[in-house]
Amino acid sequence: MAVFPTEEWFAEFVVQINASEEYRDAARTWEGDVSLVFEAEPDKGVPEDVWGWLDLWHGECRFGRFVSADEGAKARFVVRAPYSRWKDIIRGKLDPVKGIMQGKLKLRGDLPAILRHVRAAQELVRLSGAVETQFVDEAGG
Amino acid sequence: MKAVVFEGVGSVAVREIPDARIEEPADALIRVSVAGICGSDLHFLHGKAPMSPGETIGHEAVGVVEAVGPEVEAFAPGDRIVVAFNIACGECWFCRQGQTQLCEDFRNLGAGAFGGSLGGAQAELLRVPTADVNLLRVPDGVEDEVALFAGDVFTTGVFATATCGVAAGRSVGVIGVGPVGNAIVQSALLRGASPVIAFDREADRLALAEGAGATAVDVSERHPQMVAAEHTSDRGLDVVFEAVGAPPALETALDVVRRGGTVGVVGIYAGEEVPLPLGVLWSRAIDLRFTGICPIHAWWEETMEGLRSGALDPRPLVSHRLPLQEAPRGYALFEAHEATKVLLCP
Repeated sequence: MAVFPTEEWFAEFVVQINASEEYRDAARTWEGDVSLVFEAEPDKGVPEDVWGWLDLWHGECRFGRFVSADEGAKARFVVRAPYSRWKDIIRGKLDPVKGIMQGKLKLRGDLPAILRHVRAAQELVRLSGAVETQFVDEAGG
Repeated sequence: MKAVVFEGVGSVAVREIPDARIEEPADALIRVSVAGICGSDLHFLHGKAPMSPGETIGHEAVGVVEAVGPEVEAFAPGDRIVVAFNIACGECWFCRQGQTQLCEDFRNLGAGAFGGSLGGAQAELLRVPTADVNLLRVPDGVEDEVALFAGDVFTTGVFATATCGVAAGRSVGVIGVGPVGNAIVQSALLRGASPVIAFDREADRLALAEGAGATAVDVSERHPQMVAAEHTSDRGLDVVFEAVGAPPALETALDVVRRGGTVGVVGIYAGEEVPLPLGVLWSRAIDLRFTGICPIHAWWEETMEGLRSGALDPRPLVSHRLPLQEAPRGYALFEAHEATKVLLCP
């Protein structure tokens, strides 16, 4: 079981993405790298912002890893939210597109491009939930 | 007379300069008893706002009327008064609407050329133009250092909460609880807002806000958005004030306000530019309101009554009382965040 948010978890997420026919189909016209920022919540065991970078291209994740903030900020899209919001997303309790429109997540990048690929975004969310996950604030000592 | 003089970016000194005097028939000359160092004075000190070496600084003062020009009707020598930091004509269309900060002849004490080259309040003597408009009598029983806050900081808080629709039962957030943020906290509580959440990372400021009745949140320990969510069934706060004057604080304000809520930008901005997600703000129906400079004259009587009754209490904010001669030390303390509010006594 991988602990979220760690590199191990992120690597497993990339594996899930590339194993998904549904994602490949939904994102076949998607072009662009995405940084996901899991914002710090020190009281939840996330002392600093964590940047995960996904190079997504025509239904494939060509590369995915943790990066520095400077590197991650160069991505075409940056989606950021507090750690607890990502927990809700991974658990399927928060739709990320709705979350952006409600201000619970922040997007830097072309919002209409995301809206044109809602199904791909939803599939990414489903795949994040497919990773066998333990959350850092719920991990036992 | 002695006055605090801007010597260049990062430097002030107390110098002997020619006495302030009556220059226009509507002027009053004030012998200053207490002057404040304000956060906006630091903007000049840091060069964020322009000021030329040799110009005098400061815009918060309480004192006694020393002399008046022949057109002054409401005040006479010996009156104890507080001065408005922004100097208005009282006659133009904006002044008649109560928007004295937008006065056609807007001036600002101790703000260099930007403020109309009026003298600074951190001085022994201060010339106040259009005295009938720009002075407020201090009621008996109100101490000088309490009355001082009607001339800027607490009136700014009262104005901000009124302008942004703070009312009983509304949830309020304040980003940055320095003196102005604390004044917003107190004013919001006085209007019946609940909860009032103070966001900052400085322990002493948070303690003061908590002492005033706010819920204090150290943003270096907790994510502001999640705190707001906890208090509002995940909606976000009704009204949020940005009382810092820095883009990250504005971002935090937009992060914690609810859909359909109001963000009041009270903090001072100069040349900053920020990218804003207009589509998201539009769809969230955010009311982003720049309060601008406080129109002191429209709100200072209400504020003075709050100060007189004790409903508004600035005294816990006063961390240092220094002789005017020690103004440079006062600026250094304030700049180093080792002081909450520094008062200078000429």
